[in-house]
Amino acid sequence: MATHKRKTANGSNGRARANGLDTTVIRATAEQLFSSASGIARITDAASEGASTQIRNLDDVLNEMNQMTASLAQTAKQAESASGSAETLVSSMNEMAASVEQVTANTASLAASTAETSAASQEMTASIRSVAATAEEMSTASQQVAASVTQMAAGTKSVSRDTETLISSINETAAAVEEMARSIDGVASNATDLAAAAEETSSSISEMAASIEEVGAITQNLATSVEETSSAIEETSRSVQSVAANGRSISDAAVNAASSAAQLDRSIQAVASMAKQADDVTRRVSRDAEEGGASVQRSMQGIGRLRESMVQSSSVMREMGKRTGEIISIVDTINLIAERTNLLSLNASIEAARAGDAGRGFAVVAEEIRNLADRAAKATADIASIIKGLQEVAHEAVSATNESVRIADESSTLAESGAGGLKKILTGLADITGVVSQIARATDEQQGAARTVVATVTATTDQARLVATATAEQASAIGNVVQATLQMRKGAQEVTKAIGEQGKASRDILKASQNATRLAAQVHKASTEQAKTASQIVKVTDSMRRGAAATNAAMAEHATAAEQINKATASLTRLIGNVTRSMTEQTAAATQVSTAVENMRKQSGQAAAALVEQSRAMKDLSGATQNVGKQVKLITNTNKDHATGAGRVLERLKDVRAIVDHNARSVRETRGATADLLKQVETLSGTLPNGANGLRHSNGSRDRA
Amino acid sequence: MTTGASAANDTFIVFSVAATAYALRSQQVQHMEMIDQVTRVPNAAPFVDGVVFSRGQVVPAVNLRVRFGFERAPYDVRTRLLVVQADARQVGLVVDAAREFVKIPVTAIQPPQEALAGLSGKYVEGIVSLNERLILVLNLEHLVNFSEPLVAA
Repeated sequence: MATHKRKTANGSNGRARANGLDTTVIRATAEQLFSSASGIARITDAASEGASTQIRNLDDVLNEMNQMTASLAQTAKQAESASGSAETLVSSMNEMAASVEQVTANTASLAASTAETSAASQEMTASIRSVAATAEEMSTASQQVAASVTQMAAGTKSVSRDTETLISSINETAAAVEEMARSIDGVASNATDLAAAAEETSSSISEMAASIEEVGAITQNLATSVEETSSAIEETSRSVQSVAANGRSISDAAVNAASSAAQLDRSIQAVASMAKQADDVTRRVSRDAEEGGASVQRSMQGIGRLRESMVQSSSVMREMGKRTGEIISIVDTINLIAERTNLLSLNASIEAARAGDAGRGFAVVAEEIRNLADRAAKATADIASIIKGLQEVAHEAVSATNESVRIADESSTLAESGAGGLKKILTGLADITGVVSQIARATDEQQGAARTVVATVTATTDQARLVATATAEQASAIGNVVQATLQMRKGAQEVTKAIGEQGKASRDILKASQNATRLAAQVHKASTEQAKTASQIVKVTDSMRRGAAATNAAMAEHATAAEQINKATASLTRLIGNVTRSMTEQTAAATQVSTAVENMRKQSGQAAAALVEQSRAMKDLSGATQNVGKQVKLITNTNKDHATGAGRVLERLKDVRAIVDHNARSVRETRGATADLLKQVETLSGTLPNGANGLRHSNGSRDRA
Repeated sequence: MTTGASAANDTFIVFSVAATAYALRSQQVQHMEMIDQVTRVPNAAPFVDGVVFSRGQVVPAVNLRVRFGFERAPYDVRTRLLVVQADARQVGLVVDAAREFVKIPVTAIQPPQEALAGLSGKYVEGIVSLNERLILVLNLEHLVNFSEPLVAA
């Protein structure tokens, strides 16, 4: 083929010499073509460099994304462990609530607890309000972003307009080329070699144009991907910030819960000390009651002994009565003896009186004896009356003793019933002691549970702190990603700019080709081969037009993509508006919750029953903990969203990476095509007169001309 | 009433029946006994409690309470049987008590008033006021004459 080219070139040299001016101009045009091709090569190099920079940036972004994914996974794990600890907390709270219902004391601290919960809920409301304010600021920022995106879309549209202008100018160029083609029909025969060369050039150019078109499309895709990635990353960043806010609010709530738990612990300790006091008092009372029971037992024993001795004394009295009867019989005997003595003395007196003076002394003795007998009778009568009184007294004593025994029996019965009452008291005291012990045990369990709660709340606080730290790291990583994305965007812009320059160079090439075609038309007058060549050029121009049309379509797609971006931004704005609205609703709900909690606090302050207040406080605490759990779940869900978003971003970035690789490959292909073009131009120059030295020694050939 | 021994002082046995003190001259009383056992006698007079074996002789026991129209009283340790000698026969008089052997001046014995003598019969010989108590001095002959009623019917 090369020899054929050279032969036709030699054939055309004679005509070129005949028309010297034309060849000189063609050579000059070829030189221009060469310089343009060199420029394209340079630009392609720049594009390649930009593409590699893009790859590096993409690698950075990928690294950042991997780090962020790892951080997200860590955060998810922490959030899950926070959720787990929150669930443990909830279960601990439930357990504690169950045991708290046994406690019936210390209402004031629970009222205080309720008040603190109210304060905590108000703080939470304030925090939600601040989150709402942040969301509103975010909404404003997103609206600004939307404005920027709109501006960008406008810029894209203006670029599209420029492209259209380009297309029209290409069309104009094409028309001119067609015109030229018609004019160079005459020199077609002369320009066969040139046409061949031009054909090859055209094919190269079309190849290049296709490549450029491809690059343009790829770049457009890239820009779209970069935009999507950027928006996704911004979304992630916002989400991460909201997660950070949530983490802060969780941390605050956990701190409040910790203080509440500590207060609860103190209250439980007070209850425990009170239970201990009650236990001591009960034990003391029990001891006293036992002593009372022992003394009652002793008095019962004393009463028994008393009864025994009374029974003994009664029998003694009866014995005494019996002995008194014996005494009476003895006294009767004495009385009988006295009577007999009296009788004897009387008979003696009678005999003495009968004896007259002789019995006078005997009569005196008889009278003495009668006096003694009378005194004895009188004494026995006295004794009898005394013993009769004694018998009466003894009888009275016996009946009194019997009455005393009866009273002692009654006293014993009463003491037994008293002992029974004391036994009942002791049983009741034992029951009380058992109950107090149960209270003490329950309070101990509560203390353990409260300690668990404190530990769990502390763990939750730590987890929340960890989440906050991880979120901060995420935020900074996202910042890095955003920066990398910005660099990527810059690189894409540079690529776009390079492609624009490529387009310009293409236009230059077109211009050069146009010149060549015009010159070929002049040559056509002398040569039909030139006309043939010109027809080839026409074909080339047609293909160029097709390329331009493709570019236009690509630019239209670009515009559509810009509109899509616009739409996406609008939907983003709408979403942010939704978020703001929901945040406002949340704020209202939080205010309502705050009011409700305030009302609740008032009610609990009015309520007298300490147990109810404590239960309610526990429920509030449990609710707050469940809220913490919910928030943690929210964070978990958000983290999952983050993870899927990050995965999506990663996929997108991989797509971008592939596209950029493809881009780089295309750039390399372009570079090869440009090199081919350069070679073709050199060959073309060689077909011209003084072609041997053609382009490289153009100055020398000019001097010789 | 005139007796052989008209001394300045006479000795008397004082006894009581139904809370009234009576006196008999000690020469008229053989001896005195406690009543151990009285053997009841069929168809005896109402005032005769029965017979008593005393110092080897069977003596009828006349209850002076019944003889004087008072209620019969059970015997006790103070109840005495006065064995008297009247008209060569011995009679036991059952009295409530007999514990005194006293000397009474004859001049101190006053005859019973006409009204009393009419009411109580002839066996009250006189009345003595001794140590501010009244003692009826009995006439034994009239007392043991069971044929004449003591109380005017």
